[in-house]
Amino acid sequence: MNNVVRTATQSPLQERGDIKRTQETLLPAVDIIEEASALKLIADMPGVTRESLKVELDNNVLSLEGEIALNMPEGLSALHAEVRGQRFARRFNLSHEVDSDAITASITNGVVTITLPKKDSHRSRRIDVQAA
Amino acid sequence: MFDDIKRFEIGSSQQLDWFRQLLDGFLPDGSAMDIRAVPRGSFPMINLARSDDAVRVYVFAAGLAPSDLAIDIQDNVLTLRGKREPAIGSNEDGSSRPVFRRERPSGEFVRAIALPDGLDAERAEAHHAHGVFEIVLPKREELKPRRIDVQAA
Repeated sequence: MNNVVRTATQSPLQERGDIKRTQETLLPAVDIIEEASALKLIADMPGVTRESLKVELDNNVLSLEGEIALNMPEGLSALHAEVRGQRFARRFNLSHEVDSDAITASITNGVVTITLPKKDSHRSRRIDVQAA
Repeated sequence: MFDDIKRFEIGSSQQLDWFRQLLDGFLPDGSAMDIRAVPRGSFPMINLARSDDAVRVYVFAAGLAPSDLAIDIQDNVLTLRGKREPAIGSNEDGSSRPVFRRERPSGEFVRAIALPDGLDAERAEAHHAHGVFEIVLPKREELKPRRIDVQAA
């Protein structure tokens, strides 16, 4: 069960060879928790809105991308920057135990929660012991 | 816009240092590729920008509601205080769920950042949207840039 979710080592943009945009891409911090019937993936993507978030599933690879949508006025110059990028991106390899048709995602205050339900055959269940 | 600072840094370090350049080639962006891009204790991340009439502070605090962050200004030091609840409920059913990754910082935090001089803290405003707090600190009237007309002799 330990390799249910493995982080893809390559970012999707690197594969495309788009160097300029790779430098502006941030890796969001994630928590991954296992629950009885699902895996939960929680990612910090501050500044990303429902419209600018893209969650895609392709060939058991879940990719999470989001543009930081701040409406900043014109004529600003940076004094100090800890967030040096305009977008977040990260990819995850999903195990076959995940029911890819039933994945759901939501975003609140810049926190993305993705629920990855397990296939029925992999759910933990309690087996009743019958009296002899 | 905040990428500009980085571009300057890369430009200066690459002038002579071929080895650094080689390393940069292998690791295109150390800070962004690292899983621990956010060092412990530096939540939330802060960007600071200046325009002609104000200084704007952007606080990237995902998961905080407007009431979760206390913003104080004293002696030109901006202090941010708050608490982020851990997403992983360890007391949920009293059982501990298997955790595969735990990268998101949680718990109480305090961050302080020095502001430039000449700001009018009385007229400061803060807004919140999508996990980002924007604090607008207007410059004092007498410090705004102004044009001086040259008078004919």
